[in-house]
Amino acid sequence: MLSRVVLSAAATAAPSLKNAAFLGPGVLQATRTFHTGQPHLVPVPPLPEYGGKVRYGLIPEEFFQFLYPKTGPYVLGTGLILYALSKEIYVISAETFTALSVLGVMVYGIKKYGPFVADFADKLNEQKLAQLEEAKQASIQHIQNAIDTEKSQQALVQKRHYLFDVQRNNIAMALEVTYRERLYRVYKEVKNRLDYHISVQNMMRRKEQEHMINWVEKHVVQSISTQQEKETIAKCIADLKLLAKKAQAQPVM
Amino acid sequence: MNENLFASFIAPTILGLPAAVLIILFPPLLIPTSKYLINNRLITTQQWLIKLTSKQMMTMHNTKGRTWSLMLVSLIIFIATTNLLGLLPHSFTPTTQLSMNLAMAIPLWAGTVIMGFRSKIKNALAHFLPQGTPTPLIPMLVIIETISLLIQPMALAVRLTANITAGHLLMHLIGSATLAMSTINLPSTFIIFTILILLTILEIAVALIQAYVFTLLVSLYLHDNT
Repeated sequence: MLSRVVLSAAATAAPSLKNAAFLGPGVLQATRTFHTGQPHLVPVPPLPEYGGKVRYGLIPEEFFQFLYPKTGPYVLGTGLILYALSKEIYVISAETFTALSVLGVMVYGIKKYGPFVADFADKLNEQKLAQLEEAKQASIQHIQNAIDTEKSQQALVQKRHYLFDVQRNNIAMALEVTYRERLYRVYKEVKNRLDYHISVQNMMRRKEQEHMINWVEKHVVQSISTQQEKETIAKCIADLKLLAKKAQAQPVM
Repeated sequence: MNENLFASFIAPTILGLPAAVLIILFPPLLIPTSKYLINNRLITTQQWLIKLTSKQMMTMHNTKGRTWSLMLVSLIIFIATTNLLGLLPHSFTPTTQLSMNLAMAIPLWAGTVIMGFRSKIKNALAHFLPQGTPTPLIPMLVIIETISLLIQPMALAVRLTANITAGHLLMHLIGSATLAMSTINLPSTFIIFTILILLTILEIAVALIQAYVFTLLVSLYLHDNT
């Protein structure tokens, strides 16, 4: 911070140095020292999970273990207290009863509600851990689902050739059908044309026949002269008379 | 026996140096900080308590009032821990000293009032007159409201001092009563001792409640003025 003050003072003293004020924060950062020690090259040992064991909430267990070879710690404590009382180093006064009542209430409270509070704190920590665990599990589950989907997709890909075969068959059938249709149409068209020619031929022949017949009839009729016609008719009548006589001669059954 | 009843309320000195500063600075040592997610039980319960109180207290404020949240939460924690530590035998409670409570109450109250006057001057002045007063009463009522406003910091400080001091005195008196009765009439000693135990329970409650009341009132003044 003093470097900033120095810089601002310098800026007011020499206006040309005013631009130097922008270097202020950078200079400040440069003067702070971060990461000067060697970084840890091995994993730092983890902190112990539980604190040291303590008796009566105040006196560590090591104190008792230290005293046991030499003297009993409880005897030591009782002796000290009795000594202090008898020599009036500790005077029994009004405060004593206040202390007794306060400490009595505290011990009662701790004994009665201690486990409850401990469980509650443990539960809070459990909840935090469970949340993180839940997140991790959800992520794992998500990835597992993705893997399963991928596997099933791969399996489907293996069976894809059935689909292709069916499609191929369908297409082949359709091609066949169209080919036959077209063939039939071609056949029909060709037959149509040929029928046309045949009918044209038939018609021509008929026409020619009729024409020939008509021509022949016309000429025959023309060629029959009137004399011949009379003769023919007289002959026909004579024949008919003969036939009539013959017919009459037949008995009627 | 102490020379007089109020000996426990003298600000302690070590060779003429005020030890009261050290005593006031002691409670934060009991509230550890931690940079881990999972802590030991002490830190977990303390963090949970602080989260609970801060949520309870600061929901009724708007954004401007919530800038005071650090101040108010640290205030309630300080007063609660100091009061509770004062219940231990032969300990000194800083909140029994009127000087300290005034030093806490006046700046906080003045801060809220000045903030109110700076930002919303009409609303702040409107507090001096309740709604719906008949017109002839207005001058008197303005005077009364002004006095009630100016008395707020005094009330805050004196309330806290008087409650804690009275509690400590009562405990001391009844303790000396049991001491005296122990030589005269033993069964009544037990009766008086029972009274002492009940009083202790009350004192614990009072310690916590006073902290709460102090902070609640400051937060109320804040709400009026934001």
